[in-house]
Amino acid sequence: MAMNLEVTEVMGRENRLGSISGYCGSLRDLSCRARCGGIKGRERCFNQNSLCNAACAQGTLSLIMDAAIVNHGPVGCAVDAIGSNFVLRTMQRLSGANEHNIRFLSTNLRESDTVFGASEKLKATIRETWERHKPAAIFVCSSCASAVIGEDIRAAIGELNGEIPVPVSPVFCEGFKSKVWASGFDAAFHAILTDIVKPPAKKTRVVNFINFFGSAKKEITELFARFDVQPYFLTAGSTIEGLSRLSESIATVAICGTLGTYLGTGLEQKYGVPYVQSMRPHGIAGYEDWLRKLGAAIAKTDEVEAYIAEERPKIESELQRLRSRLKGLRAVIGMGPGYSFNFIRVLGELGIEVVWTSAWHFDPKYDSGANVPELEFLAGGGAEDVPFTVSDQQNFEVMNILNTLKPDIYFSRHPGTTVWALKLGYASLCVNDEYTAFGYKGIVNFGTMILDSITNRSFAELFAKRSKLPYTDWWFRQDHAHFLAKAAGSPAGAQAAAIGGGHE
Amino acid sequence: MSAITEAPRGNCALGGANAVLSAIDKVVPIYHAGPGCCMQTTAGEAGQAGGRSPFYVSGVSTPCSNMLEHEVVFGGADRLRETIEGTIEIIEAEAYFVLEGCTSGIIADDVKGIAKEFTDRKLPVYPVECPGFLGESCRGYEIAFKALLDNIVEPAEREADLVNLFGIMPYHDPFWEGNFEEMTRILERLGLRVNTFFTRRQGLADVRGSSAAALNIILSPWLLKDASEQYRKGFGVPSLRWPGVPIGATDTSAFLRAVAKELGLEEKAERLIAAEEDYVYGYLETAIGALTWKRFAVVADSSTAIGVTRFLANDYSFTPIATIVTDPVFRSEDKERITRQLTELEHAKPPAVVFETDGWKIARELESHPEITLLVGSTNDREYAMEKDIQCCVIAYPITDRLVFNRTYAGYRGSLTLVEDLYDNL
Repeated sequence: MAMNLEVTEVMGRENRLGSISGYCGSLRDLSCRARCGGIKGRERCFNQNSLCNAACAQGTLSLIMDAAIVNHGPVGCAVDAIGSNFVLRTMQRLSGANEHNIRFLSTNLRESDTVFGASEKLKATIRETWERHKPAAIFVCSSCASAVIGEDIRAAIGELNGEIPVPVSPVFCEGFKSKVWASGFDAAFHAILTDIVKPPAKKTRVVNFINFFGSAKKEITELFARFDVQPYFLTAGSTIEGLSRLSESIATVAICGTLGTYLGTGLEQKYGVPYVQSMRPHGIAGYEDWLRKLGAAIAKTDEVEAYIAEERPKIESELQRLRSRLKGLRAVIGMGPGYSFNFIRVLGELGIEVVWTSAWHFDPKYDSGANVPELEFLAGGGAEDVPFTVSDQQNFEVMNILNTLKPDIYFSRHPGTTVWALKLGYASLCVNDEYTAFGYKGIVNFGTMILDSITNRSFAELFAKRSKLPYTDWWFRQDHAHFLAKAAGSPAGAQAAAIGGGHE
Repeated sequence: MSAITEAPRGNCALGGANAVLSAIDKVVPIYHAGPGCCMQTTAGEAGQAGGRSPFYVSGVSTPCSNMLEHEVVFGGADRLRETIEGTIEIIEAEAYFVLEGCTSGIIADDVKGIAKEFTDRKLPVYPVECPGFLGESCRGYEIAFKALLDNIVEPAEREADLVNLFGIMPYHDPFWEGNFEEMTRILERLGLRVNTFFTRRQGLADVRGSSAAALNIILSPWLLKDASEQYRKGFGVPSLRWPGVPIGATDTSAFLRAVAKELGLEEKAERLIAAEEDYVYGYLETAIGALTWKRFAVVADSSTAIGVTRFLANDYSFTPIATIVTDPVFRSEDKERITRQLTELEHAKPPAVVFETDGWKIARELESHPEITLLVGSTNDREYAMEKDIQCCVIAYPITDRLVFNRTYAGYRGSLTLVEDLYDNL
């Protein structure tokens, strides 16, 4: 399946990939439906807030060191990203660049702008951005307000008529565009792919590494040196010049399939840079699958096998010890879909039983048309079947599930949800660092971290005695899927057997 | 045309309204907005105010109609109705406030009418017209106060020892809880009972009965002008405006005298002032010379800017060079009031006073004062301090590199903490 890269505006994932944000059933059922194309998302008739794709798009773009961002919207849409100043400055410090704040300007849309339009103001803001900072590129992001009133960002950029000598790239990421906030990654990467990346002047031995914050840069650079390649991490800490040369690289990998699909596939399609489609490098099976597929892409198969043979035995005894201590623990996972699938596998390697998983959305396939490798692995015998919901971080459902299943530990990747699990009294581990459980050392560290968090549960236990949750007793007596509307061909009771009945 | 703003120092009106309402115990905001508005505003307001999240319902737990394309095209009324119904079933609260975002504001969903369907059923659901494009956090603060006055506050018998303490914005002032606590402590020592609405044990009952107060004390040079009018006209409660949260012995004692005069407590106030000043100077005495003289600039909201500038100049002998007020102050009489506070100093030459919200212009203004050796501002201002290699003390929104619980720079005790923090930052 070919991607259409000629469009100005990339479609949301619901329309492009058939992604859904409402489902209740099991991992096997989900995999089965994804394969046969029979998956249909279910709506909820009550929702807590989720997240908008603008947050993901602006978060991705704002960590490019020498770019600037214009948000065409009210000030509120710009404030959150400015909170990443701390991350950007850390990136700059690590790379020896001058530390500066994110260059982020808001057009500060007001009521009268929503009536009379604001394209003059947008042009003035873009000019001002150039005059002030001389950035290497300017990304112009839309907002709900500018999109509802029909502001034509592309036309406004066109009217600047080349007066700004660097790329000025529109990013269509208004919040109402998609229920799947990961669509914002795609909007950002579409802008990079179409307006920043240039055709290759040569081929290099660089591997594009799509990740979030890049905490394991040093370790990965050392690892890649064994295979005679260098990683180029993006977008955090990258530069426009560096991004312009992504087409010259030997391969692309991504720490998260959800994050990397659009750019990885796009670079492969447009410039022939192979996108390594593997499980992600978390835990043992994932790490080895990733290394082997990377090795095949860069023609270093023997070197990879030698590395695996050398390194893997080193952690065996420590892993055994951890498994014996962690065995029998029951866990609930609430993460994005990529990390959910990978961490079901990783926890299995540590001997922990995953009794429920809630993924914030689900992509039945990626942009290449390929199935999700991690899901294939799990459904193909890599794990026991797991009760599974897809919910856009609907906290009331997660709380209900935790209260029903009473697990030993809850794993999330979004600190907001960890807070609430902790208030219920459960040991909670927020996997903030994308490189948690990365490779052989990572899984040992992760196991140790889990052991620590279940050994001393004082904070959660003391907290639960004192905190009052806002949820009604009535809600805790309902099935967690109570507000999930029944969808045609997907009976709501189908999942009941998966967690031992009791539904509807 | 409103000004282009680089690195805005405030959220939108929706963010401000949410910060206020979610700071009241057992009050639940319901967003009628896009799917990301709640996360953007909670992360952008409370999250950048010393890394906090509101305590009862906040962030991921806040109900929202998550308006998508379908609602934009066909209207979001039905979606909102079911969101409110679901909220009432799932979340216990004393009141639910429906907050309008930009999308519903532009397509003009009838939020008032829908809220009325619920109030007609005796359910406490109230509309708040606060789409982001109406302005900044400060505007949201005023809108939320109006919503409380219109819907919650009821007439009550006057209580001579009860005062309302207003003007400190939850979260937008990262030190709001500590500031309320210190000012409450001082007023309680004067024999008063203090409504803040927001500090933990208070809630809707205190809002409802706030009309019984003998006096509103508004600790801000410009906020709540309309609310003050509404309290006076509707409930006969007079207001005393004090231009900012007082910091240090000089301003706090002057503040206490003003309150005491309104309430006829002058004698008691003098005894209290003597004791509190003795406490402060008892400590200051033990660290004389710990800090050397500084030439300082302040970049902060008006209340903080006034408090810090006046304390450092009047009480601590530092030299004020420039004070940049980052609030979107728009009335000229308010600007004059603020400027007077910043320039009528007892012991120092007045600083340059500038009103500016744009991050880049703020840095250019600072550049015109190369003699500055101390910058008191927000996390955003660290950039400038690092570039010039001068001392930086982060005490104003946004604060993303400190965790703030109940720390305060207000009143008597807070001024000691400010001196401690200046020393820690040397």
